[in-house]
Amino acid sequence: MAVTIRIPTPLRKFTDGKSEVDVEGGTVREIFDDVENRHGGLKDKIFDDAGEVRRFINVFVNGEDVRHAEGLDTPVKDGDELSVVPAIAGGLGSRPRQV
Amino acid sequence: MIEPKSLTDEERAVYEWQMWVPEFGEEGQEKLKGASVLISRIGGLGGVVAYELAAAGVGRLVLAHAGDVKPSDLNRQLLMTHDGLGKSRVESAARRLRELNPRLEVEAVAENINEGNAAALVGSVDLVVDCAPLFEERFQMNREAKSQGKPLVECAMYEMEAQLTTFLPGETRYLHELYPEKPEWWKREFPVFGAVSGAVGCMGAMEAIKVISGIGEPLTGELLVFDLGEMRFHKMKLGPS
Repeated sequence: MAVTIRIPTPLRKFTDGKSEVDVEGGTVREIFDDVENRHGGLKDKIFDDAGEVRRFINVFVNGEDVRHAEGLDTPVKDGDELSVVPAIAGGLGSRPRQV
Repeated sequence: MIEPKSLTDEERAVYEWQMWVPEFGEEGQEKLKGASVLISRIGGLGGVVAYELAAAGVGRLVLAHAGDVKPSDLNRQLLMTHDGLGKSRVESAARRLRELNPRLEVEAVAENINEGNAAALVGSVDLVVDCAPLFEERFQMNREAKSQGKPLVECAMYEMEAQLTTFLPGETRYLHELYPEKPEWWKREFPVFGAVSGAVGCMGAMEAIKVISGIGEPLTGELLVFDLGEMRFHKMKLGPS
């Protein structure tokens, strides 16, 4: 299944600055495996040591939270859009910090 | 429960154009006049929220923000001025807001939200707008708002991306329930254009106006995620309370 994954700004350094990446897989877990093959290092930022999505990140398929579906086993189909949405804050800010 | 306050002739003249909005009218304006709003940090984001709410005729604003105006504030913190450099941010902001709306009651608190002041500050208003740059402040204020049954508008941004949602007691989860931990990489300082923080601030102010006046459809149970670098807007469903 060909799926588009939306990459949040703080993690785009792992995708050469790209905001979207086209990947393959039949489930959310397989999508992230394919992302890691294409863009090494990204998965470590999204998953903890136990292999779970970090608690400051939510993952959505077509705008639906996968935690309310089948989690990482949530199936995806051709043309789906997967979004990685980390918590962000901010109304101040000045000097950029890299992830 | 917000107690509406009747308008003077001067106020009817000032707010005439927004009272033409269907559903809103004089009744909506009276609710704004009777409302009080806490804004946590009044920098690039919260400053614009405060300016829009002052312009719209919210009766009382409580501004919480520590520190003095620095040169690096001036690319986005529209309530600060060059001649205010080195002076209290929150006093500069209060002065600018009173210039715009001399009827506005402003309480300037030269502190950021913390464990010691959150309960009293949240308890003193009808609605909270969260614009803090640190998750510790956001989590503290969200816990208080949920505990006290207060609505909270959550505004956030990073570089050219932004997020917006509105939490309502008994209807939605609050920030600390959606994101139980802060990102390990988050720092107080991050890249920002004033036009991005200002855009989110305007939208956050509109959420506050909708919740207070009861018009439109507040962004509850959904997270608006948008990227002004590409002008892409997406809504994510956050699920029930």
